[in-house]
Amino acid sequence: MKQNLRQSLNTGITFGLVHVFLVLIGFNTLIGTLFAKLFGTPVSGSQPPAFTLIIYTAILGIWAGLAATKKAQNRTLPGFLAAGTLSGLTAGVIGFLFSLGLGWFLVNRVDFRQYLAFLSFDFIKATLFNLTPLLGALLTAGIFTAAGAVGGLVNGVRNIRRVKEGFNTIRLAGGRVVYNASALLHGRHRLFVRIGLLTALAALIILLPLKWGSYWNYVAGTVGLYVILGLGLNIIVGLSGQLVLGYIAFFAIGAYTMALLNSPIPHNLMWGFWPAVVLGVVLAALAGLLLGLPLMRLRGDYLAIVTLGFGEIIRILLKSDVLTDFTGGPRGIQNINGPVLFGKAFNSDIHFTYLIFAAVVLAAFVYSHLENSRTGRAWLAIREDETVARATGVNTTRYKLLALALGAAFAGLAGAIYASRNQFTGPEEHSLMASINVISLIIVGGMGNIPGTILGAFALKGLPEILREFANYRLLTFGALLVVMMLSRPNGLIPSRRPRYKIKDELENNPGSAEGENDQ
Amino acid sequence: MTSEIIAAQEVTKIFGGLTAVNHVSLAVREGEIFSIIGPNGAGKTTLFNCISGFYTPESGEVLFRGVSIRGKGTDTIATIGISRTYQNIRLFANLTALENVMVGMHHQSRETWGDAVLRTPRFRREERDAIREGMKWLAFVGLQNFANNAAGSLPYGEQRKLEIARALASKPAVLLLDEPTAGMNPHETLDMIALIQRMRAEFNVTIILIEHDMHVVMGISDRVAVLDFGEKIAEGMPAEIQANERVIEAYLGRGGAALAQKYREAKCP
Repeated sequence: MKQNLRQSLNTGITFGLVHVFLVLIGFNTLIGTLFAKLFGTPVSGSQPPAFTLIIYTAILGIWAGLAATKKAQNRTLPGFLAAGTLSGLTAGVIGFLFSLGLGWFLVNRVDFRQYLAFLSFDFIKATLFNLTPLLGALLTAGIFTAAGAVGGLVNGVRNIRRVKEGFNTIRLAGGRVVYNASALLHGRHRLFVRIGLLTALAALIILLPLKWGSYWNYVAGTVGLYVILGLGLNIIVGLSGQLVLGYIAFFAIGAYTMALLNSPIPHNLMWGFWPAVVLGVVLAALAGLLLGLPLMRLRGDYLAIVTLGFGEIIRILLKSDVLTDFTGGPRGIQNINGPVLFGKAFNSDIHFTYLIFAAVVLAAFVYSHLENSRTGRAWLAIREDETVARATGVNTTRYKLLALALGAAFAGLAGAIYASRNQFTGPEEHSLMASINVISLIIVGGMGNIPGTILGAFALKGLPEILREFANYRLLTFGALLVVMMLSRPNGLIPSRRPRYKIKDELENNPGSAEGENDQ
Repeated sequence: MTSEIIAAQEVTKIFGGLTAVNHVSLAVREGEIFSIIGPNGAGKTTLFNCISGFYTPESGEVLFRGVSIRGKGTDTIATIGISRTYQNIRLFANLTALENVMVGMHHQSRETWGDAVLRTPRFRREERDAIREGMKWLAFVGLQNFANNAAGSLPYGEQRKLEIARALASKPAVLLLDEPTAGMNPHETLDMIALIQRMRAEFNVTIILIEHDMHVVMGISDRVAVLDFGEKIAEGMPAEIQANERVIEAYLGRGGAALAQKYREAKCP
């Protein structure tokens, strides 16, 4: 009992303090504005209408109620209700005091913006739901308490056995549906099913960009390029287990190959897109090989540091004064020509979206085919235990070099398309932060698998664009996301799974015998 | 006269000031079960590492079928037919049991990464064969029902067996087992003895064994060598080793031989 009480109080205090913190950084009105947009309510002035802030506070309160009763098992429904209400009330008391404090600032015209940029009087008014300070503070406490009670109740209802069984039934049914669906994929008519699915997917890929405007096509293209980068780095880090930090250098090589061959300044070579793309991929792969040779004796931290240096060397070389005549120096290279296919020039973002999607499909195709092959297994063995992999007969040097070269080739492809699409590339586009972005996206998404990489690229490159309002908070959100994710899903949003080979018939044909040697 | 398959000649391995293996010579015959015993720190595992290529000995030679393998990489040595297991189990923990074995079969396949990307007929054939073969090796050690389980999630005893299956999958002529029954209960130990004998019977593989359990050593070895402080102090049939005074001294200390004699007389007069 006492323990339950303490849990409710603790949760309430945590959420109360979180509320205070979020208000101080102006997060509440930010969410409020988002809601207002979502509901199509016009936002008059700089602050969102009061009802959106009520929703925001209620969500926080429900969350507090849920959190307070999360681990409770043997409690009655009123018990759940009480625990949720108590935590909501605790958070509400903190919110009440805080709102009163804010109200005092408002009444006495104390301007705090010098220290906390968000605390304008308009903001405080909005936070107090456009009421008097006392009423606003009371409403805050009231919402928190009521919402906490709702949260507790929700968990309580979920815990009733009948409801629980109901949920389980639904879950089982869902599992059966998934099972049957996957059976379709592998069953007798698998060819038709797969062709059907692929056609649907292809239609979606072809039709969707038509609906998007130029801006969203641009965003989708960026996400696609990062998917390619993520897959390439996944070969190096996720499969073969070499932590390479300067990965963006290969991207830079691809981009600069495209730029130097297709821009009037500085060389005016104008080779065209397609030869440049091929050369960019080849050069990046070669750079991967060359970088690999001195790396073969390094593992772990040392490898990471050396590759970090490599990335910086490439960037600094690109902008160095000595090479200005050759690389364009710090100003970068402008007016890069786009591709021409069947006599038609690529001149809108939608064309590039299709090109990038095709490249993503190619990259995913190569990656998925490598993953479960002799090569993929050799890489994974190296990742798990390099010494043993070698002593088991894997030529570790060759496979590590292969991983570097292939991973670099992916980056070269992405870089070449990137430069061509933006019609510009410069040294600062290839900074360390870009490498870290790629590593983050495969860690967030889940190391070593395609859906995870796509999700990670979307989360890191697409989400900030969709949530433009968050722009100021991108790094904050991103950092928080990383921390939360590492705690709750240490293997990424979609962890990798190893293949389950179909072996039933093998066993039936050869029950328990091992005549492997006589077979051939 | 059976031929020597592994010969260590005056092998010496030095770590800093410590001579871990000191002029040790061994000759292991084809098809033999040869045990290496000795107190802790005697240099048994170091000698193993010299044979399997983990270490290059400072002096001396290691011959495989009369050809020197000293200084060759561990991957080359594995490919020409010497496989090993490890004292502390070293599986590819996140791969499935079947995949572990398939890695063991790595050098028997000619499948390249190009085959994999293009899904060539060779790829399909090699993968199908690899799965079938791999399952046979798993079945041989009794792990066929764990094929799709992550290696790291298997029980301890099964992990030891899986390590042996992975080593066997490379079809070695010589198998080095480093304490295969360490940490096993008597029942599991009996299983392991049977497995070792079955391996030799079915595949005619030469087995070199490091082992502390004297029941195992005396029960299955054809010959035994004893190391102490990096030097070989005895070699011979199990019965000879049991009676060897220097061996008893190495295990029980000076005067140990007399003590052991006394103990034996008291026990069975």
